[in-house]
Amino acid sequence: MIEGQAILVRRELWEHRSILVTPAVIALLVSLMAVTGHVTISAFNEQVVDVAILGASNLGPVERSAAINVMMIGISSLFALAMSVLTFFYTLDALYAERKDRSILFWRSIPCTDSETVLSKLTVAIVVIPLLTMAAIVVTHLVVLAVTGIWVEIRGANAWHLLWSTAPYLDNWIATLVVLLALPLWQAPFVGWFLFVSAFARRSPFLMAVLPILILPMLEKTLFGSTLLAQAFFVRSANVPLFRGLRTGDLFFYEGPGVPGIEASGFALLPLLDLSRFLLSPGLWLGLVVCGLFTSAAIYVRRYRDES
Amino acid sequence: MDQSDPDSVVVRARNVSKRYGSVHAVDDVSFDIERGRIMGLIGPNGAGKTTLLKSVLGLTECDGSLSVLGFDPFRQRKELMREISFIADVAVLPRWIRVYQLLRFIETIHPRFSRQRAEDLLSRTRVRKDARVRELSKGMVTQLHLSIIIAIDARLLVLDEPTLGLDIIFRKEFYTNLLNDYFDGERTILVTTHQVEEIENLLTDVMFINEGKIVLQASMDALPERYVELMTSGENAERARRFNPIFERDVFGKKVLTFEGVGREHLKSLGDLRTPAIADLFVAKIKGVAA
Repeated sequence: MIEGQAILVRRELWEHRSILVTPAVIALLVSLMAVTGHVTISAFNEQVVDVAILGASNLGPVERSAAINVMMIGISSLFALAMSVLTFFYTLDALYAERKDRSILFWRSIPCTDSETVLSKLTVAIVVIPLLTMAAIVVTHLVVLAVTGIWVEIRGANAWHLLWSTAPYLDNWIATLVVLLALPLWQAPFVGWFLFVSAFARRSPFLMAVLPILILPMLEKTLFGSTLLAQAFFVRSANVPLFRGLRTGDLFFYEGPGVPGIEASGFALLPLLDLSRFLLSPGLWLGLVVCGLFTSAAIYVRRYRDES
Repeated sequence: MDQSDPDSVVVRARNVSKRYGSVHAVDDVSFDIERGRIMGLIGPNGAGKTTLLKSVLGLTECDGSLSVLGFDPFRQRKELMREISFIADVAVLPRWIRVYQLLRFIETIHPRFSRQRAEDLLSRTRVRKDARVRELSKGMVTQLHLSIIIAIDARLLVLDEPTLGLDIIFRKEFYTNLLNDYFDGERTILVTTHQVEEIENLLTDVMFINEGKIVLQASMDALPERYVELMTSGENAERARRFNPIFERDVFGKKVLTFEGVGREHLKSLGDLRTPAIADLFVAKIKGVAA
C-alpha cells in the first residue's frame, strides 16, 4: 500500500514535470537576480555598497536577524505564490489529462483501485508540492546568503558576522514549513473541487472550475441579497486562523500594540503562529470534510463513468 | 457470485446485459470460456464486443452474473487485475512516459510482472529504454505494450483490436510472439479483431456477436461438422438450395452456398465442399440472419 502510493506519487511527478520545474526555475531566477543585483550595484556605485555594509555592521544582532528574516520571507512568498498556481493547474489536470489522451484505459488495466489513484493525486497536491516548494526555498535562501556573503567578503567585511551567524534559519524555516503545509489544508475544499472537476469535465475544466466560484456568489447576491457564498469562497480563504492576533492580510501592515514576535527583544516568526487555534478551528475541519466529499465524488466518477 | 471451479472455467457469463439508455449494447448473453482456450470474439462495429470486454475487465458495470477467475470483475477489479492483463485498443500507453519509467512503475505495482523478461523481450526490438512513448512509432508502441503484457504472468489475457492500425509485418509478428512467448496451453486469451483471417488459425474457439446477442459459439474443431460451404452452379445450385443454405453468394460466376447442420454426404455430389473461412461464416451468420 505504502509502496504502491509511493510509485503512484512518483508517476505524478514524471507526468507533471512542472511540479519540479517551476520551483527549480524560480530558485534559479532568484539566485541569478541575487548575483546580477549585487554585480550591478557594485558596478554603478561602490559607495552605496560600502554604506550598506557599514549600516548592517552598525545594527544590533536583533535588527540584523530581523532584516535577514524579512529578506527570507520575501523569497518564500514568491515560492508560495507559485505553489498556489501550480497546485491549481495540477489538480485541474490530474484526472483530466488521462481521459484526454485515453491513457486511463492503460492505468485502469493495472492492479490499483480508483481510490488509490485519486488519493495519490490528492497527496501530491496537499503534501508533495508543499514539501518540494520548501526544499526549493531552503536551497534558494542558502544560495542568496552565499552570493551575498561572497559579495560582502569582496568588500572586505565579515560575512560570517554579518550574515551566516545571524540568519534566523530555524525560526524562518520551521515557520515557513508550517505555513506551506497549513495553507493547502485550509484551501482543501478548493483542491477537492478542482480534482472533482478534473474527473468530471468533458472539456475545459478550467472554466468549469472557476466560473461557479465567480458566478454563484453573484447569483446569490442578486437573488437573495445575501453573501454567504462570497464569505465562504473569498473571506474564508483570506482569513487563515494560523496567525496569532492578526489576519493574513495584516501581516505586514499591522500597527496595533501587542503583536507577539515583533518586539524590541527580537523579530521571530514562530511566535506569530498559533497552531492550536488553526487545528481547533471548525473552519479547517469543515473544509476538510468538503474536500473529502469532492474527492469521493471524483473517485466515484472515475470508477463508474463509462469512457466509451 | 459463482465461485465454483474457477480452475477450469475462466470466464462465466450468465444473462449478462448492458444498456445505454434504450440501447441494449449487450443483450442477455451467456457463455463460458475454459482455461487454455484462445477465444475470438467477432462482430461488426457496434455489436457490443467492446462493451462485453469492458464488462469482463470490470471497467463497466453490467446486469446479470459475470465471474472472471472467480472474481466479480467490477467489484474486485484490483484483485482481478493482478491475475489478468489486457490491451484495450491501441495507443493507450501514456505518451509522456519513458520506457524505463513504465517498466519501473509496473514492476512496483504488479506482483506478477517480471522486469527481466520484459527487458529481454524489448532487447529484440528497436525500442530504446530512455525513449518516451510519443517518440516511438505505432508499431514500436505495440511491441512495448506486448512485451509488458507477456512479462506479466497472467492467467487471462484480453486483447481488444490489438493490431489496429499496424502494418502487416508488425501484425504477423505480434501474433507470432504472442503464441511463442505467452501462450502455454494453461493461459487463456480472449481476443477481438477485424482482421479475422490473421487469427483464424490460432483460435481454438470462436464467438460471433451481433446486436448484443451471441449468434454463434463453437470450438474451431466443431466448425467443420456444423458448417459446410458448397461451390457449385446451375442445376446443382438449385438442388442444393433445397437443403436450406443459411447464406448464398456469387464468386467468379459460381454460387457459394453455406449450410449449417447439413451432412456433407448430402452435398458432395453437387459440387466442391469445404469448411467456410471464419470471415465468410461470419458474413453468412450475420447477413443470413438479417435476410
